[in-house]
Amino acid sequence: MTTITVTVNGVRYTSEVEPRLLLVHYLREHLNLTGTHIGCDTSQCGACVVHVNGVSVKSCTMLAVQCDGAEITTIEGLAQDGQLHPLQEGFWEKHGLQCGFCTPGMIMAAADLLKRNPNPSEEEIRHGLEGNLCRCTGYENIVRAVRYAAEKMAAMQAAD
Amino acid sequence: MTQQPPHRYLGKARKSVDGIEKVTGRARYAGDVYLPGMLHGKLALSMYAHARIVRIDTAAAKAIPGVVAVLTAHDLPVRQHQPSSRQTTTLARDVVRYRGEPVALVLATHPAAAEDAVAALQIDYEPLPAVVTVEAALDPAAPVIWPQGAPRADADLTAAHAAVARGEEQNGHTVSNVHERKRFSRGDAHTALAAADVVVAGTYRTSIVHQGYLEPHAVVADVDPIRKQITLYTSTQGQFGVRDEVARLLGLRPSQVTVVPMTVGGGFGAKYGILEPLAAAAAMAVGRPVRIVLDRSEDFLTTTPSPASTITLKLGATREGILTALVAEIVIDNGVYPFTLGGIMSTLLGGYYRCPNVQIDVVEVLTHKPQAGAYRAPGAPQVTFALESSIDELAHRLGLDPLELRMRNAATTGDPMGNNDPWPSMGLTKVLEVAAAHPLWRNRTPGSGVGMAIGGWPCGMSPAAAVCRVDTDGIVRVHVGSVDISGVNSSFVLVAAEILGVPPEQVEIVAGDTRSGPFAGPSGGSQITYSVTGAVAATAREARRQLLEIAADMLEARIDDLDIREGEVLVRGVPGRSLPIGEVARRAQEQPGGPGPIVGEGRAAPAENAPGFVAHIVQVAVDQETGRVQPLRYVAIQDVGFPLNPLMVEGQIHGGAVQGIGWALHEALRYDERGELLTASLMDYTLPRAADVPSIEAVLVTNPAPNGPFGARGVGEPPITAGAAAIANAIRDATGARIYELPMRDEIVFQAIRQVSKEECL
Repeated sequence: MTTITVTVNGVRYTSEVEPRLLLVHYLREHLNLTGTHIGCDTSQCGACVVHVNGVSVKSCTMLAVQCDGAEITTIEGLAQDGQLHPLQEGFWEKHGLQCGFCTPGMIMAAADLLKRNPNPSEEEIRHGLEGNLCRCTGYENIVRAVRYAAEKMAAMQAAD
Repeated sequence: MTQQPPHRYLGKARKSVDGIEKVTGRARYAGDVYLPGMLHGKLALSMYAHARIVRIDTAAAKAIPGVVAVLTAHDLPVRQHQPSSRQTTTLARDVVRYRGEPVALVLATHPAAAEDAVAALQIDYEPLPAVVTVEAALDPAAPVIWPQGAPRADADLTAAHAAVARGEEQNGHTVSNVHERKRFSRGDAHTALAAADVVVAGTYRTSIVHQGYLEPHAVVADVDPIRKQITLYTSTQGQFGVRDEVARLLGLRPSQVTVVPMTVGGGFGAKYGILEPLAAAAAMAVGRPVRIVLDRSEDFLTTTPSPASTITLKLGATREGILTALVAEIVIDNGVYPFTLGGIMSTLLGGYYRCPNVQIDVVEVLTHKPQAGAYRAPGAPQVTFALESSIDELAHRLGLDPLELRMRNAATTGDPMGNNDPWPSMGLTKVLEVAAAHPLWRNRTPGSGVGMAIGGWPCGMSPAAAVCRVDTDGIVRVHVGSVDISGVNSSFVLVAAEILGVPPEQVEIVAGDTRSGPFAGPSGGSQITYSVTGAVAATAREARRQLLEIAADMLEARIDDLDIREGEVLVRGVPGRSLPIGEVARRAQEQPGGPGPIVGEGRAAPAENAPGFVAHIVQVAVDQETGRVQPLRYVAIQDVGFPLNPLMVEGQIHGGAVQGIGWALHEALRYDERGELLTASLMDYTLPRAADVPSIEAVLVTNPAPNGPFGARGVGEPPITAGAAAIANAIRDATGARIYELPMRDEIVFQAIRQVSKEECL
């Protein structure tokens, strides 16, 4: 067992973990943050994407012990002060979700994409989300949701 | 028909009722359920396609700290020892018949211990000859998979998808790996074919395709050992069917089993019960809650993908392009247990077009592979690929516009389906008219890589009930027993809001378990909107009647003078005299001697189904050097009857169309000659990614279903049917090459293009 200290969604946790424990299992089973989903075991689907130190990571590709000292954000931590993130709003408004299983990872990956490219074209969105599978939406409304968020974030910034 | 007043909420796009949970990570899936004392189950799957289990040594596995039990078939309290379907499987007894068949179940206090224990299990097998391919299975010298005859299912939970079957049984011969032969015919197809001006013939092959839901199968079973009751929290499309099957297998009364349907992370026909009987039996055996969540490889190995098929098709027509003969043989690879899609495949194949002479022979074959199962419009993508490719070829042969050829032969209401029953009200010609006018079709130039295809699905129906209550704060709750896998609750809300006159935000859908939910059929066959909406509408009408009855007294007005708008009961023409429905509900709850609290009951049992037809137009680019096909534009036109919530309907069309692209270009489960699965991960089994697919333009055609609620038809399944054929026809237009095999991978397309250039050189 190894002791790690991580900050997840602004809360500090110190935990004893097995060295082989994956970050995704740590989040789900130790911290009860079940919003991060597991859709595969080969890092293809992207349902488990979270942010580690501000960068999107498939949490099935990282060991919990590698996150010692890290700041982690999961889907549960994305809304601020009860206010949905523009991407959360966009996925809901534009129906960029059906079964919802890919949604948390899709939103977390899209958040990283918008950080790097605040005004992506449809093509850039499709390429930016290549690491995330969705079986329900055909990606059509996911693209629209990301555009919605990009526009909303630009408008918010302009207003600031 | 009388003029209906315009709808206030229905037919207008409105975001989903459960979106907030899904975007914040608060939706609860079966794998998110953690119960006190719960054990983590991990399966040991057969390593062989066919073998005798000689010995299972559990000592090393049991010695691992945290391991509580290692269960084999002999430890389970299961009544039926010979499964007849994947749904009735728990653990293999003595013999395994496909790679991936569950052999043992380890239960441990934490997942890692369970995983270690499965690795430590010593299972000795004696390999037996495996019959992996259809060709091998049909060899008269082949070992017979079920020498005593194939086990027959008492209850087939997947039947909801494909209820239409008839045809003459052609069996009655000796035991073989063919579990069913059927013939569907009308007229004299062979004579008509011989007399036809033009004949096109081809043999089309489709692969085994997985439903590819993002959430692998998951279940948590809780047990009350004293009362002998089981509660299952599961990812299912139909809680009542799962309950009945689990109860039957465990020898319990259905009321001893409660099935709680959790948020489903995608089903597409695959989630009618896979793990539930095993989880329930295991919980019963150890007296503690048991959780089984498959990983992706296990899910590929041990669930029920869509069957592979070989369809040999001959079409005969007059020079004017009138179909005169259709002769087909459909050979289906069902895996280890019988699964009969031949009926629905023939119904569609012999039904899309008016053709007086039809003969379709179905051969249902068993092999040592996982049992085939339902996947969105089961059987339709396969036969639609064959038929719509052939129709396109016929158009080329006749020098006719492919859409015009379809229009000349399209079936309409009352024409016979392949099983010779008449089509109920259907709109194939309507979607063709819209397709003909679409710029992508109208403005195409030869060789620009544009193709089209039609497809259809009968759509299901079943009786359903609903209950409506009105709370004192004005919230309307509609209780249903159906599972929302496609946005149906987001349409029910609008139906109740429309009828009651309350804003949709004031309506909640309460989806019940098998104890609390009014009965509804499973969410398959595109039947829920069509079937349950009638019950929702009826219960809302009854609640409205009760509200007005009490409000009339409170407002001292006649019931006929009252209306409900925006959640307020008002007296027409008397401004200011109104009451919130919550106050009316309170009076109903408190008034001694009154009619009693507001609670409506509604029921519906549609008598006739409402088929949904599509026309898909696609433009592709084909790289002549590599054979790589890239869809560039995609138009999906669909007769949806009436879209209760267009946002949900369009979502279904987008998703179905892209799954069709998966059929066309990407997906195949492949097995080697020993029956080992070669594509047991998402690295090898490739689902379409965002950059693989173009934007999907959904075009809704409103051709109201005569018996559908507000004219609505089922919409979930039709959009997957036409894509493979439309893309094949687009490739034909771009390259001159006809592709006869799905998926149309680069090397196949490349070879077909080379063949065309060789022929051109000659």
